[in-house]
Amino acid sequence: MIYKRIAFKADPFSYDLVFGDRITLVGGDSGSGKTVLYEILEDLRLTDEYRAIKLFNYKSDNLFDSIIQCRDSFIVIDNADILMNDEIRKFINFEFSNQYLLFLRNCDGLNVSDKSFKVLKLDHNRITLEEEL
Amino acid sequence: MIDIYTEKVESKDWILQNDLYFNLNTSNEEMSENEIHLIQQVDEAKLTPDKHIETKYGLGTIRNLSSGCKTLLNIVKHPEKVVCVEECGPNVLKVIFTMDNIKIYMSRPTLADIPANAKIRFNDTDIVTGSKGYHAWWGKEYERREANDI
Repeated sequence: MIYKRIAFKADPFSYDLVFGDRITLVGGDSGSGKTVLYEILEDLRLTDEYRAIKLFNYKSDNLFDSIIQCRDSFIVIDNADILMNDEIRKFINFEFSNQYLLFLRNCDGLNVSDKSFKVLKLDHNRITLEEEL
Repeated sequence: MIDIYTEKVESKDWILQNDLYFNLNTSNEEMSENEIHLIQQVDEAKLTPDKHIETKYGLGTIRNLSSGCKTLLNIVKHPEKVVCVEECGPNVLKVIFTMDNIKIYMSRPTLADIPANAKIRFNDTDIVTGSKGYHAWWGKEYERREANDI
């Protein structure tokens, strides 16, 4: 795993994200803060500690070509339900040097475990990843 | 009637990229009281007359709504278009299935609540009623996909 935990403050919130699998799918209700997190990661990835973070969303150019070049990276994909095709899913399954945080509901074709399915939980301005029931 | 399409089509009459379509089009349209209520219901966001929003994550503009909320507003504002709902969470899908005369695209079934009296037409042909009919249709569809190795 590239990161077992990503913890940082983004006032008024503090994020404490713990990962239990190489692939993490974040689902849950709309409006639960996935894109807010993605936008904070855009800043966080510019720090030395988190420079392995690579971000992709619907604004990314040449998505497939860019993703398949990633090695030893923590890949985050927002809008993944509309962006990820079968080829990207295959790449994720077989490129073990990367870790993946996917804002995705459709897990078809992905080698995931029980620990992969998460939702964002906000409690007293503390944001964590909890198991999706 | 809710029209559901299960095969993706690239067409100007379809909205596949909801964030993009919303940010460039729907967000510039006037929001009715009902739409302001939907924004409150889904994102717990207050929309001001000048299109700023206030949510639990802070202040922003209407373009900072969630993808699911943007999808819902694209459907409400453009009922003539087929709108992709694959990014919607259960809280949005629950609202969508209470609506009428809309067209949506989904390639797989959802576990969201579907009212027992909801009339649903798949791919312009098969008409079913409620959650039971919805899931029965998807059961057959998966058999078909398996038989055709899809």
